[in-house]
Amino acid sequence: MKKVFEISKWEFLEKVKTRAFILSLIITPALVIMVSIGGTFLSTSEQESTKAIGIIDSSMVYFYPLSQTLESYKLDNGQPAYVVFNLNQPMEEYNNAILSADKEVYKNKISGYILLRRYGNDSLNIEYRSSNSGNFKDVQRIENAVEEVRLKMQLQKLGINPDLLNTYFSRISINQITIKEGGQIQQSDFLTEFLSAIVFIMLLLMMIIYSGQMLVRSLVEEKSNKLIEILISSCTPEQLLAGKILGLSALGLFQMFIWACIGIGLAGSSMIPASAFNNIFIMLVYFILGFLFYTALFVGIGSIVTTEQEAQQITSYLSLVLVLPIAISASAIFNPDSLLVEILSFIPLTIPAIMLLKINVVNVPTAEILSTIIIMVASIYITIFAASKIFRIGILSYGKRPGIKELISWIKEK
Amino acid sequence: MLAVRNLTKEYNDVVAVKNLSFTVNEGKIFGLLGPNGAGKTTTIRTLLNIIKPTSGEISFNDRRISRDFFNIIGYLPEDRGLYKKSRVDEVILYFAALKNMNRSKSQKQLDYWLERLGIVHYKTKKIEELSKGNQQKVQFIISVIHNPKLLILDEPFSGFDPINQQIIRETILSFISEGKLIVLSTHHMDFAEKMCSEILLMNKGQEVCSGSLSQLKKNFGGNMVEIGFEGNSNLIKELKYVKGIDDYNNYAEVQLEDSIEPYVFLRDIADKIRVNHFRIIEPTLNKIFIDMIKQSA
Repeated sequence: MKKVFEISKWEFLEKVKTRAFILSLIITPALVIMVSIGGTFLSTSEQESTKAIGIIDSSMVYFYPLSQTLESYKLDNGQPAYVVFNLNQPMEEYNNAILSADKEVYKNKISGYILLRRYGNDSLNIEYRSSNSGNFKDVQRIENAVEEVRLKMQLQKLGINPDLLNTYFSRISINQITIKEGGQIQQSDFLTEFLSAIVFIMLLLMMIIYSGQMLVRSLVEEKSNKLIEILISSCTPEQLLAGKILGLSALGLFQMFIWACIGIGLAGSSMIPASAFNNIFIMLVYFILGFLFYTALFVGIGSIVTTEQEAQQITSYLSLVLVLPIAISASAIFNPDSLLVEILSFIPLTIPAIMLLKINVVNVPTAEILSTIIIMVASIYITIFAASKIFRIGILSYGKRPGIKELISWIKEK
Repeated sequence: MLAVRNLTKEYNDVVAVKNLSFTVNEGKIFGLLGPNGAGKTTTIRTLLNIIKPTSGEISFNDRRISRDFFNIIGYLPEDRGLYKKSRVDEVILYFAALKNMNRSKSQKQLDYWLERLGIVHYKTKKIEELSKGNQQKVQFIISVIHNPKLLILDEPFSGFDPINQQIIRETILSFISEGKLIVLSTHHMDFAEKMCSEILLMNKGQEVCSGSLSQLKKNFGGNMVEIGFEGNSNLIKELKYVKGIDDYNNYAEVQLEDSIEPYVFLRDIADKIRVNHFRIIEPTLNKIFIDMIKQSA
């Protein structure tokens, strides 16, 4: 046990002093903060100011009710979302009206304008012409407004009291409340939950990829200069393996500790919302399980490669698998109960990331949490067992990388 | 006493070492010699308990080699390399700690060895700042700092200049008087010849010959003479009892048939060429090595 401690101490102290590690301590949180602040910024900035929009209405009947409806939309700060201008010109000047309105848009005097053309009795053609086509919120509001106005007008024709319509159309906003176990109720903010999950996954990924690469690189170094032979003539391969994993985990914990300090500091200054730390305990469990699992994988793989290039190649494959959950995170967020997510939440490679994501978005049943944790613990045990077997032989073989068959025979060897 | 009995190691279908036996006594240097790929490294790895033999037995002082022996074995591998970015003292102390030395003792030994090998002023330098020779010295210290009873040295002289080779040689010789057991593997036949009391020559995983140096030379067939001359060396080759000749133009090593007395050869040849000097020689280890390996191939 003393030797395991000496090895882990060495691994920790040697790596903690490297310039790359010190840089990663600062750069990773900086990146994460940029992403989360960027996200918050993006999702709020579009509502900040009142927009000027115009209407050209060849039928002349829509302008008034439509502008009223549009101007009734309010921003979060209480200001109207739109100021509406009438860009209509006399009938014969219709084409001129469009030309001059286009110019206004082009000159940025208005954000865009609505072009209404009526064909026949009830057929409407509507365009929203603006300098960019990406503004879904505007288009959606305009669609709703036109729909509302048209319905109102048709109902009015049938002699129904417009006041009733007003009640019917009075806007309802839904507050999302997430119910936690034990009757706790909490106003949920989708964005912060998504972001905190993403932040955690990114931290996990970066830590795993970073320390995994470090581990593989140091193994390759020790192999290529035969230090490994001096090492295992002083301790058993199992002790060496345990020492390396422990040292690296200590390094990871230290890194997390520093990041947590930064995180808590930022939460104090409310740059990161405090609600991001709601599930912190269970998230930590998945975090550590994921870290151990991947570290063991990296050890097994690292011990069979001989050159730096091979090491890089093989760690980038593993990193790809790691990034998979990020790639499907959107579907996991919007549809946490989908089959794909359901399957991935039971595969050891993806459990940690998927569960980190899910746990923040939906109420994951305790049974699922327990079963995934059991799966993780079991697979960590199996991986470490296999990795140590591969390690024992792999660190002494040079040259050609062993095939699957050979690896299996290594694992079976007593 | 280190005793190896019927050691065999197979990898899949390759037999790396086959039925190897030898013993090494206290205060002796045992030479494990052989060409590249002969199975020396595999033999050393089994001695170090890094790999398990397929069959056979290795014991040290009548106890089977096991994990308990880690701390009394010192090993200097052939390929050298250290943690380049780390400090000399930290690296040495790390490996000392892995041999279960306590800190204060290893500190003392560290200073002693740095002083003895003349690199004390590099103590806090990074490994990469040291010359190759000095890095080798650090590695040498790592293999001996814990005062091992069994020391396994694989090419201990490679990479050293003649002055440092002498320092290392003297250091190794001093271990003899301390009663250490030393297994020396090398391609430098002159060192092996001068230092080893027992030798085992192996090829293709098997023993070719073994024994004390004098015994080996006797068995090898000692009817050799060296001759310095002026004239045509073909005249030497034409003598029917000359079995072999190493011809250097003005100098030759000549092997005669066992029944021929060297003076007969001198008398016969002196008529034909001018002889500058003549000496009866024993075969060098180098010659034994080359001839035996050729024979066994």
